[in-house]
Amino acid sequence: MAKDIRFVHDGKEYRLEFTRKSIEIMERQGFVASDIVEKPMSTLPALFAGAFLAHHRYVKKEIIDEIFSKMKNKQELISKLAEMYNEPILALVDEPEEAEGNITWEASF
Amino acid sequence: MGGELLNSSSSKVSYTEQFYEHFPFYLAIGMTYDQYWNDDCQLVKFYRKAHKLKNEQKNQELWLQGMYIYEALCNVSPVLHAFAKRGTRPLPYPEKPYSLTKEGNKQEKEIQEKINRQKAKAVFGAWASRLKLPNTERQKSAN
Repeated sequence: MAKDIRFVHDGKEYRLEFTRKSIEIMERQGFVASDIVEKPMSTLPALFAGAFLAHHRYVKKEIIDEIFSKMKNKQELISKLAEMYNEPILALVDEPEEAEGNITWEASF
Repeated sequence: MGGELLNSSSSKVSYTEQFYEHFPFYLAIGMTYDQYWNDDCQLVKFYRKAHKLKNEQKNQELWLQGMYIYEALCNVSPVLHAFAKRGTRPLPYPEKPYSLTKEGNKQEKEIQEKINRQKAKAVFGAWASRLKLPNTERQKSAN
């Protein structure tokens, strides 16, 4: 199952997810994932809005912006959205088969 | 140093291009347009696994077919011999296919052992009757 974010706003259930099509639409509209570092103020809301394309394509921008402004724990939200955004491409890459030369790694964060 | 890594074109890589590059492969292994672009993005993993299983199955089938052909050639080989004796006949083709399960193999082995036991019993019985051995039970009672 693909990773998603679920919440309720104004009595309506939302499910945010990225599909390959929604990423294609976002990139066609000028979204560049690497801009998150250079232009976070404009890219992060665009990333959030892009997550609506899969299941809530016709939700107005104003409502999406309102939801984004009300979302708690934004840092965690952005990290989850970034993880979700990368999922469709990572799913295309095979994990290397079990072999002696494979490298295991861990992060401190 | 290391600037070439930061400035490489990989940081500006388009996901869409990558999606289109992989798309024909998934179409070839049975995914639909809608499944690839709009469905659960993890679905591709299961399609890949299924494709791998199908390939293994096909390989197994081809190997089995090779075994049947090999056995058939071995069975017919006595008559293919240039100096074969007159009246030489090929060995019969197996009556039934190889069993593919462990259970089937076990059953087949048991049946074959039973047949062999019955054959041995019949041969031994015929040999014993030819010997005309005295009945030891009667002899004992007579004594």
